[in-house]
Amino acid sequence: MKYYFTLQFKMLNRKITEFGLPPILGYLLGCCAFIGLSWYLFMKIELANYIYSFLGLSFLSLLTDIKRNDFLKSCFSDNQYYQVRLIENLLLVLPFVAFLILKNNWSIALGMLIISGLSTFLRTNNSLQFSIPTPFYKNPFEFTVGLRKTFFIFIGAYVLTYIAISVDNFNLGAFALGVTCFTTFSFYAEPEEDFFVWTFSRTPASFLLQKIKIALLSLTLLCLPILVSLGIAFPQFWRVLLIFQSLGYLYLVAVLLAKYSAFPRKISVPQGFLLAFGVWLPPLLVFIIPFFYKKSIQQLKQIL
Amino acid sequence: MIKIQDLHKKYGAKEVLKGINLTLQKGKIYGIVGENGAGKTTLFRCIAGLEKHQGSIKSDFMPLKNHLGFFPTNPYFFPKITGHEYLQLLCNARNIKVKDLDSKNIFDLPLQQYAITYSTGMKKKLALTALLLQHNDYFILDEPFNGVDIQSNIIITEIIQQLKTLNKIVLISSHIFSTLKTTCDEIHLLQNGLFTKSVQQADFEKLEREMIDVTIGNSIAQLELR
Repeated sequence: MKYYFTLQFKMLNRKITEFGLPPILGYLLGCCAFIGLSWYLFMKIELANYIYSFLGLSFLSLLTDIKRNDFLKSCFSDNQYYQVRLIENLLLVLPFVAFLILKNNWSIALGMLIISGLSTFLRTNNSLQFSIPTPFYKNPFEFTVGLRKTFFIFIGAYVLTYIAISVDNFNLGAFALGVTCFTTFSFYAEPEEDFFVWTFSRTPASFLLQKIKIALLSLTLLCLPILVSLGIAFPQFWRVLLIFQSLGYLYLVAVLLAKYSAFPRKISVPQGFLLAFGVWLPPLLVFIIPFFYKKSIQQLKQIL
Repeated sequence: MIKIQDLHKKYGAKEVLKGINLTLQKGKIYGIVGENGAGKTTLFRCIAGLEKHQGSIKSDFMPLKNHLGFFPTNPYFFPKITGHEYLQLLCNARNIKVKDLDSKNIFDLPLQQYAITYSTGMKKKLALTALLLQHNDYFILDEPFNGVDIQSNIIITEIIQQLKTLNKIVLISSHIFSTLKTTCDEIHLLQNGLFTKSVQQADFEKLEREMIDVTIGNSIAQLELR
C-alpha cells in the first residue's frame, strides 16, 4: 500500500514536470491558486460554502470508475482496498475541509468528511451504453465530448439564469453566462491525437478557420437560452450582454489558437501565462490572438 | 503509384529506418512483415507524413496524406463520441457528404453507443468503416486482422480484394502470415530498418518456411520443456 501511494506521488510529480514546472514550484503554485480561488469565491458569492462543498465532493467521482476499482481490487486484499479508497478520498477533500474549517463552517466540513468516507464504497460505471444527445451532431468533436463531460454545469447555468430573472438580479445572470463561456474553454485544453488533425484534407489556415467557425457557432448555441432570456428580462442591459458575449468569443478563439500553437504538445507555461494575461486584460488579445494564430500555422504545417 | 526512396528515420541516436526503397503500383496489395520493433509502424507513419524523415516519398496524388486512409494498430477514440459521430467526424475531415451513414454500417456496429465502450474488434471495424467512407486512393492497414472475429476477417479480406479491383494501393502489416498469403501480391520482410527480402505470390510458402526456421531455430529446445 505504501508503494502504491509512493507511485501515485511519483506520477503526480511527472505530470507537473511534463507541464514544464519543477514539482516543488508546481505544488507551491497549486496551493496559492487553490487558496486564492477559494478566498475569491467566498468573497464574491453568498452561498459559497454550498457551491464549494459540492465542488470538492464532485472530485470524488474521479476515483469511483469501475475499471480503476477493479484494478485496485485485483492488487489489494479487501481490507487494504477499502483503506486505499478511504485514504484517497480523504486526501482529495482535505484541502476543501481545511478551508471550510478556516471559514468556521464546521458542520459542512464534517458533512464532507462523512460523505467522502461513505463514497469509499461507491463504484460507478462511466462506460455508459447510452449516449447523451447533443445539438452538435453535424460537427462532432470538442463541443460534443465537452458537453457530455460537463452537462451538469450547463444545467446549473440555465437554472441560475432562471433564478436571476426570478429575483431580478442581472449580475447573477451575467455570472451564469460567464460560467457557460468559461466551461467551453476547457474543451480545448488538451491536444488531440495527431491522427485527428492529420486526417483533415485542409491547409493549416483553412483548418483553423473551420475550427474557429464551429467553435463560435457551438458557443452561440449553448449561450443562446441565457442570452435570449436575459435580453428579454433585462432589455436595458443588452449592451453589457453583447460585450460579455463578444469577450466570450474572443477568449474562445484565443484558447483554441493557443492549443494549436503548441500542437502536438500541451500548452506550455509561457503560453499559459500569455493566455492568462489576455483574460486578465482583454485589449491584449489584439496582439495575443494574431501571435497564437501565426504559431499555430507554423505548428500545423508540419502535419497538414 | 507511390515511390519511396532512401527513407531514413532516427529517434535520437537510434536509426529505425536505414534507407527504405519501395515502389507501390496501383491495383496491388503489399504486405510488410517483420518482428516487433522492426520499424513497420514507423515506416507507415513516415509514409503518412506523421513523422519527420529523410528521403523522398512521391505519389500520383499530392499531398499524399489527403488521399490516404491510415489504419493504426490501435485506433484512438475520444471518450464520449458515438460510433456514428466518429464516422461523421472522419467524413467531415475529407469533405465527404454521406446521406445515410447507418446504411454503410456493414459490420452491424451499435453506432449510437460511445465508441470507447466497443470491444477491440468492434473498434477496428469502426475505424476501417470510416476509412472506407473517405474514398481514399491509398490505404495503410497496420494489423487490421488482429482481435477481429472470423466473420469480420472474411469481410475485411473481401474488402481488400475489392480495393484491388478498384485500382487502389493497399499496404498491410500483419503478424498472421496466412492473412497476408490470401490477400497480398507482394510481401516485403523488414528487418532492422531495412527490407531484406521481397517475394512474389509464388514464393510466399517458401518465405513462411524460412521465417519459421529462423524464428524458432533451437530457441524452444533451450527451454527444455518437460
